[in-house]
Amino acid sequence: MESNQNRGPSGTEMSRFNDVSGKTGQYRVAVVAAGVLSPLGFGLDETLASLRANKDCVSPVTRFDVEKCRCKTAGQISDERLLSGRGNERKTERLHRATRMMMAVFEELFGQDPEFKPELTVIGTTSGGMSFGEDYYRGLHRHQGLRHSPGWIANYPPQKPVIDAQHAFEISTPCQIIANACASGTNAIGHAFECVRSGKYQRVLTGGYDALSELVFVGFDSLQAATPEKCRPFDRDRSGMVLGEGAAIFALENLESARARGARILGEIIGYGISTDNHHLTQPDPSGSGPRRAMEQALQSANRSAEEVDYINAHGTATTFNDAAEGKAVAELFGDVPISSTKSMMGHSLGAAGAIEAVVCLLALQAQFVPPNINFRNADRDLNLNIVANESREAKIDIILSNSFGFGGTNASILIQKLAA
Amino acid sequence: MSLRIAGMGWVTPLGRGVDAVWGRLLRGDEAPVQPISDSVSDKAYSAFRVPAEALKDLPPHPRLRRASAISRFAAAAGIDALAEARSTIGEIEAERLALVFAVSNGGVVYTKRFYHNVVESGAQSASPLLFPETVFNAPASHLAAILGITGTSYTLVGDGAVGVLAIKMASDLLDNEALDFCLVVAAEEADWLLCDAYHKWRLLKKEPPIELFRDPPRGMILSEGAGAVLLARQGAVQIDAIDLGGNFSQRREANAIVRRVLHDLADEHACIVASANGTFIDLAERNAIERELPSALVYSAKPALGESVGASTLWQTITGVQALRTRRLPPMLHSDPEAGLSFSTLGEISFKKVIVLNCGLNQQVAGLRLSI
Repeated sequence: MESNQNRGPSGTEMSRFNDVSGKTGQYRVAVVAAGVLSPLGFGLDETLASLRANKDCVSPVTRFDVEKCRCKTAGQISDERLLSGRGNERKTERLHRATRMMMAVFEELFGQDPEFKPELTVIGTTSGGMSFGEDYYRGLHRHQGLRHSPGWIANYPPQKPVIDAQHAFEISTPCQIIANACASGTNAIGHAFECVRSGKYQRVLTGGYDALSELVFVGFDSLQAATPEKCRPFDRDRSGMVLGEGAAIFALENLESARARGARILGEIIGYGISTDNHHLTQPDPSGSGPRRAMEQALQSANRSAEEVDYINAHGTATTFNDAAEGKAVAELFGDVPISSTKSMMGHSLGAAGAIEAVVCLLALQAQFVPPNINFRNADRDLNLNIVANESREAKIDIILSNSFGFGGTNASILIQKLAA
Repeated sequence: MSLRIAGMGWVTPLGRGVDAVWGRLLRGDEAPVQPISDSVSDKAYSAFRVPAEALKDLPPHPRLRRASAISRFAAAAGIDALAEARSTIGEIEAERLALVFAVSNGGVVYTKRFYHNVVESGAQSASPLLFPETVFNAPASHLAAILGITGTSYTLVGDGAVGVLAIKMASDLLDNEALDFCLVVAAEEADWLLCDAYHKWRLLKKEPPIELFRDPPRGMILSEGAGAVLLARQGAVQIDAIDLGGNFSQRREANAIVRRVLHDLADEHACIVASANGTFIDLAERNAIERELPSALVYSAKPALGESVGASTLWQTITGVQALRTRRLPPMLHSDPEAGLSFSTLGEISFKKVIVLNCGLNQQVAGLRLSI
């Protein structure tokens, strides 16, 4: 017996899935609150408005010098607004931007459900407080005194923004920080889902965050994965991604427990798939087998068929090989289900992307529309996809698949369902 | 569900291989430190390094051709853990095997080299070969490719306690009956930049020995290497409790959380493999042990092996498993005799449980209990 976090739900009769994936999970998993911060906006309402307005939130990079980079744009969050939020008092003035992002999304989530008490926190990220590491190294290189260096070092690790945000809201829940590259956010939600679904946990806080940093920006630029043009996922003339930043978190709770306490249910996570593609550290197997296995596993985990999926929020980075592999797998599995990559609007926020896109999916389910794949001009004849081109549109949707794939061959897919009233 | 240890791998400054390293610890050996310097500064530090011969028989694999030391350490430990398990339980199907990789500092050698080029010569000098190796999950990706794992693979990041969080994640993953095994691997590589950072953070001392449980603390010395445990539903040693503890915002708050974790894991028949490393952690652990298990035998291998940060919990777990298997604990080196704790001296022991206690350097505290 494990000594803690091992408490199954009690006192309520639980709904059971006929799970064919071999998992012991039995309990339904509700989303009872969410918080989001991205180039699309601060909070759920602004995000929804930007999605419906087909807004392009990518702009010239201002945080560091990009003169010698091919790509010069990114989806960015306004420091002016970020710094005016919680955590602006003197004792927290040295916190990283990522911490402030986390505080902002915590504020929105706990504003919706102050009674939510997580037993575990599972958050995805790729680079933590990377810019503090950059400041530190630049200081060394210039032989500066590094007066602030202890603060930079202490606030650099990836768990720090999460733990500090938790402290600001008087939570001391253990934190599992998943760093599965660009799949981190979806992996975090997926693992949190499985924790609640198994009955081991009643409530898990989950999501992802990443703040733009020079090192990562230059890294993608060096790989020529970032585009000097517009980000055009699945377009014939796609030329790469633009980076983004942001954070999103979810309060996941055993559905019956949430209903019993009268919590507002925003949606339900019903399936999760994870696979590892060993083809190459940075490139997917062109067959699309890695993404396909993750999507199939998500369907199997939810005991759903591909025909039941109404919309796919794609990973869709707009790089030649990633879009080709994902597009092939999607076309083979789902046929002409509407698909879009909202990274076209806000950039690729890496460890936050899966979490922000899961918020996009929740909003789409609630408002009954499919968000757009903007900057789309010409269909790629090798990809037989039903792209939601350039404009959002009304649609009756009950189930959405959201994909995230990353360096190292990590692939993750989740299925989100609208809960009947 | 019974969570058991079916195989282990250990890559340390005292060499590679569980039995080999254990033998040297029992003899009271202490790994030599090596000077570590960098062109960016005149300052020099010391670190415990993995000897080059430890990896000489690592199987060649295309993924390791350009990989950083951290990936090689992880690969060696993971391969060894699977080999040990196969020798007792037979074939392990890759599709029924998950991987959880734990890390704190990550691939700092390539990250520093990559960013140095950017700072020195501009963004156009950034290396597309180095950048992918800087991501936290690069070692896990390489290991998955070597072992043929195509399903579940997670990389967890945290401080020293991340190993407990990884073992807990593995335990949760093994609830899935589609999986039979979960390989938990943790690794770190040493670099001057890390030494400088921990020194500026007032946690590092420049020369050995690492002196434990002194008040005031005198500092730690960084180390490198990897540890791996293959978790299964069968095996002689069981993980019978995992406590994910909590987080502290100020160091002085660590005392209460460490004490709570030890209280939850306490067993009068247990000894303690501590995370004490010559920093504030020692005082938090000493305080907790004095109050919760004052007569427990205490051991830490850190004076002999150094502080491996993200890999430390796995090293402690391997130490605990070996203590239960061999009924012996190595002698505690460089501890303060005035500390008021019962430190291990070489000899046969009778306990059947080991508490692995880990207080990290950056806010996380957790622990687990092993039994045989």
